[in-house]
Amino acid sequence: MKYIFYSVDSNCPQHVPKAVISDHKSKSKRLLSIWILIVSIFLSGTSTVLAREAEDRLDTKSKQGKLHLIELWAEKIPAGIEGGNDLFAYRMASHVIKKRNNETDITSRYSMQPTIPGPTIIIDEGDEVRLTLKHVFDPGNSATLEQVSVHVHGVHYDIHSDGTIEYINLVADESATPTMSYTYHWVAAPGTAGTWPYHDHNMITLNGAEDRGLYGAVIVNDKKSKILALNKAGKLQRVPLSRIQKEYVLFIGDDAFWGTEINNKNRRHTPLWENPTLLAQEKSFVRFHLIALGNNTHNFKLNHYEWTDPGTNLVISEKIIGPLEKHVFVVQARGDSQYWDDTFIGNSLNMKGDFNVIP
Amino acid sequence: MKSIIFWLNKKTMTALMAFMTAMLFSSIALAATTHTINITAETLPNGQLGYKMISHDGSTQNYPAEAIIPGPTLFAQLGDTINITLTNNTGVPVGLNIPGILENAAEAAAGGGSQNYSFTANQAGTYPYYDDGSGLLGLFGALIVNAVDGSVQSYIDGDGSIIPTDAADLDKEYIMFMVGSTFWGAEIASGTQTPLWTNPVLGATLNEVVRFHVLSLEHDHTFHLHAHRWLDEVDPVHQGFSPHIIDVKILTGKADSHAFTVKAGTGVGAGMWHLHCHVVSHMESNMAARFRVDEPGAASGVSVAGATPYGAILLSSNQSDPGLVTFEISDEPGSWFRSARSDAIVDPAGPLGALNIKTRSLEVMAPGSSAHFIMSDTRAVHTITTLIWPSDADSENKHDIPFDQTKAYRGGGIVQLNTPGLYVFTCKIHPYMFGAVIVDDPSTEGLDLGEAIDLVTGIHDLPTTSDLATRLLRTFFVATTQENWQDYTSPAPWHADYPDVNVRLSGGAVLNLQAVLESRYGQDIVLGPLSKPVTPGIGEVWINTQFEKTASKTKPGTITVLDTTNWTVKRKIALPGINMNHPHNMWVDRNQATVFQTQWFDNKLTFINQSNGQMIDNIQIGDSPSHVMTMPDSDDITVAINGENRIVTIPAGTTTPVSSIPTQLPGQVPANPHGHWITPEGKIVTPNINSSDTGFYDGHSGQIIARPAAGGNFSHGPHPIAIGVGNNRIYAANLLDHSLNVYDFDGNPVPVTANGGKPYINLIASYDPVSGDGAANSGILPIQTPVDPTGRVVVTANTGGSITIVDTSTNTVVAVLPCDPGCHGANFGAKAGGGYYAYITSKFSNRLIVVDPDPNDDGDFSDAAIAGTIAMADNSATTDDAVVSLAGMGGQGVLAIPNVYNGWVQQLPPEWQAGLTEAQRNPVP
Repeated sequence: MKYIFYSVDSNCPQHVPKAVISDHKSKSKRLLSIWILIVSIFLSGTSTVLAREAEDRLDTKSKQGKLHLIELWAEKIPAGIEGGNDLFAYRMASHVIKKRNNETDITSRYSMQPTIPGPTIIIDEGDEVRLTLKHVFDPGNSATLEQVSVHVHGVHYDIHSDGTIEYINLVADESATPTMSYTYHWVAAPGTAGTWPYHDHNMITLNGAEDRGLYGAVIVNDKKSKILALNKAGKLQRVPLSRIQKEYVLFIGDDAFWGTEINNKNRRHTPLWENPTLLAQEKSFVRFHLIALGNNTHNFKLNHYEWTDPGTNLVISEKIIGPLEKHVFVVQARGDSQYWDDTFIGNSLNMKGDFNVIP
Repeated sequence: MKSIIFWLNKKTMTALMAFMTAMLFSSIALAATTHTINITAETLPNGQLGYKMISHDGSTQNYPAEAIIPGPTLFAQLGDTINITLTNNTGVPVGLNIPGILENAAEAAAGGGSQNYSFTANQAGTYPYYDDGSGLLGLFGALIVNAVDGSVQSYIDGDGSIIPTDAADLDKEYIMFMVGSTFWGAEIASGTQTPLWTNPVLGATLNEVVRFHVLSLEHDHTFHLHAHRWLDEVDPVHQGFSPHIIDVKILTGKADSHAFTVKAGTGVGAGMWHLHCHVVSHMESNMAARFRVDEPGAASGVSVAGATPYGAILLSSNQSDPGLVTFEISDEPGSWFRSARSDAIVDPAGPLGALNIKTRSLEVMAPGSSAHFIMSDTRAVHTITTLIWPSDADSENKHDIPFDQTKAYRGGGIVQLNTPGLYVFTCKIHPYMFGAVIVDDPSTEGLDLGEAIDLVTGIHDLPTTSDLATRLLRTFFVATTQENWQDYTSPAPWHADYPDVNVRLSGGAVLNLQAVLESRYGQDIVLGPLSKPVTPGIGEVWINTQFEKTASKTKPGTITVLDTTNWTVKRKIALPGINMNHPHNMWVDRNQATVFQTQWFDNKLTFINQSNGQMIDNIQIGDSPSHVMTMPDSDDITVAINGENRIVTIPAGTTTPVSSIPTQLPGQVPANPHGHWITPEGKIVTPNINSSDTGFYDGHSGQIIARPAAGGNFSHGPHPIAIGVGNNRIYAANLLDHSLNVYDFDGNPVPVTANGGKPYINLIASYDPVSGDGAANSGILPIQTPVDPTGRVVVTANTGGSITIVDTSTNTVVAVLPCDPGCHGANFGAKAGGGYYAYITSKFSNRLIVVDPDPNDDGDFSDAAIAGTIAMADNSATTDDAVVSLAGMGGQGVLAIPNVYNGWVQQLPPEWQAGLTEAQRNPVP
């Protein structure tokens, strides 16, 4: 376990600088960090914000990809804003991409608010992520909301970046707390291309508050391969990633869809909240990223559209999806439609939204 | 993805398909083996059932000697012939089904009999075999049919390569059955099968190649393994351009399976990797195991078994391994938590002998063993929730106690209990479902009830010797034992059996439980004679005798129709054609022609003709519908979906739901509304049991108006359960808070002067929970709480056994009347000549109590009195199905026809208004 000292003068998250990244294989630096931690506790008292970084042994020697330095905040959504009321959410505080000596800050692509789903983290196969999570909840609630985490699916991470509590992983409470951030290390190694959920695993109980808003998607793109799509003529077509104009991330909860979209032209992320209307330009290719979450099994439909079932040569028009399963497909927009959950509960609760195509 | 490698795999697949085709149509098929298998079905020490391998000719597998869960894993090769003789050593029929391989083959073997099953393994893959009737109790196992060339599922290596794999490459295979909310595991290594029982730790050494066979029965699950990914299974003929790499997989339908291969820890390293169902309610009920990947070493890769049916529970010969007591969640009245070995437990000639505990819902086990719940005999959704636990347990076992699920669902639960003492489990949706576990330290004298208990409402450190603790224990023994219910058709005094056993209470006192309960609460109590009210009522009263059992139904419940002009039972309605399951609450349309009936342990709303009791329609409405009521203005039907999160509306005169009013905003914890009421102007008010608030909704627009917090006596879980509407006042009963919240019609809390300005009426103000003083004058566990049509008096049925009368002009309790155990339903009907009767039902008795809240009609309700009592058991009444047991028991919903509540009475057709007085036709001038 490595401790890094942040030199800030209050707990106010607005003043927290970007994470300090150091060579995690340096034993002397680790000892130094621990020494700094000890000294800082003596010197700084409660004004100290500490950070823990997952010590790991992941094989990154073949890395040719980029390094993503991400800072996420976990917050309670204010009652006033859409999607609020008793829900929690992640907010993107900072996303910097490092490639050799170049740094690109892409934070401005994201919503400035905490959103449900949380920020969509888009990376390429071969990339690495160092994600620092900060606990930014109402301190009055810290007794029950004492820890929060990010557990990710699909990509490589070692046991220190599992995002679970020590009771489960036997190593550590891999959580951000009111006084300590936590940095997770992921490697999108070859073979991890795809769309994966990330979610809390530690808040309130050892299962976390994943169904209270603390979830989002990671999209790992394989830039070398083309993506199978059903084009407007109903024919299978393999399109390069660059032809995909929009990404719709739709989480299917027990009582609503929660969406966000990413415009691949300008890279902007737009939160769409519950049962959103999706807009697409006619003839454009758009990619749906569906992930279910909660208790129920869903039957997803997109009226008048068909698509390919991943991994198969089957063309389908509906898909059974269970909690935390993913279903990703590309269609070419060719007419207005409606997406919906065709189950008894989905129909009873009107779980549907429009997919509108603009000529 | 390295596509070249995938194409290699594709070629392998093509070659494999060609080979398989060749094999099927050539003499290679002659190489197939014939298996002769002898298995038995056995009863395990905890009452669960399991298959046991006796012999397997045609296999070199080394099987366990005992009956196991999951059952023996049967390995075969494509094309093999398999002949199984099943000998059934249990008391119930047991058969064998294998979806896609062996369906509807032979009948089940009767208890003591045997049956033969023969089939050809004509498709490669992993298949569940199971018994159709009792499968969830443990009668399931895996059949694995391998390809002839030995190839198995490829795995994805840490560098992204997809590695074709043969069975010979596998270091281990794991069987993981997802059943209820529990993993049942087994391991096969080097031809030896080892049972790993419940929620095991699967051990492997880093980079070992292991195959998981994940299987399911009955309920949907999603399997997730941390830090590993694998190839989704695709039928070779539907193989696409690229593989589908996944780390979560749904298992759905009656039975399902999913098999995959992983290289342990590849790309991620060693670690204790979590493995769980990703259905939130199943996560919350502990549906989790571990995949422990070890660095290579002498002791690496050893799996660790979980709690076993053979382990440390009462009467077990094995007191060293963690044991398992299993409760089936059932729709059987009283036995809602039914121990899997309850037939033996209640048998006077059984192993417990003269203990005479009678209840099927109590189990005893050693510290460190687990309580296990399986929703195998119910059509409802439930939670498994600790109501009571030893006061130290929540700190010693903080991740599991208190035990609860945020959402009611299907499945089950499992929880290890380490702290000695008493644990009582309930269902939040059906809060009289009880199951109890005594965790007994074998080194102390007497069964350990513990020093003190905590209650879910936030009561801490209540001594087990206190009145409240023993009163709750007595409630448990009455509620869970049909023989302990009050039968008013019998001349015998009421006798409640309690276990004749020594228990250890606060301060180490060892006392006889039966003696304690009898000395505190009496025994052989003479039940008063029944007496009809002198003054008749008007019309009919329909009573949900929810536990009454009839000949042609497997589920309980009838409607008892009482003619109030002569106080006789006019009709019993059981609706055997639809197996009407736990009819709970009713309402009637404006014309008093169609009665709407909820089925609380099912998902149905039933429409019944008022005049002849015939069914009109029966529709799916949502899980565990509780109460139904019409909108006073439109006559549209509204149904509270207690197991879920909404009010469903059905337009007047139709039987098709058109819309829902969600009781919370999207994503919020479901409110689970129970007994709603509607104001004259159409505001729907719901007691939201799961979110601990009272919901105010605009019945026309569906908007949420307000959701004020409920309760006030205690800090947690007030359990709002029923609403009454008066003149500009709402009364909301809180079952576990023993209180009535008072609000105005906009949801603003109204201060109650008599309670120091707090916005609730305290029904236990005079009750001392330690001494028990004041209990008789209290409203313990209030349920239905209607306000009379004039808005002047609230009558509350308290399931602790009393009826409280609240004067709305002062919001004080002005009278308390005795009631029966499980006092539950209350509603007003018109009294002949003016005024009203309140009709009161009780779950654990078979009489209706008729209360006259104002006998002398002076507006002072302190003289409220019982006007009469009527037996609900009457086998001479007209019926559509013969009553066979629990006659007249289970009184819950009650409805007077004509419906004379303010807002509805004004809408009555003339023929129904005719018998009413002017004041009754216009109750709030």
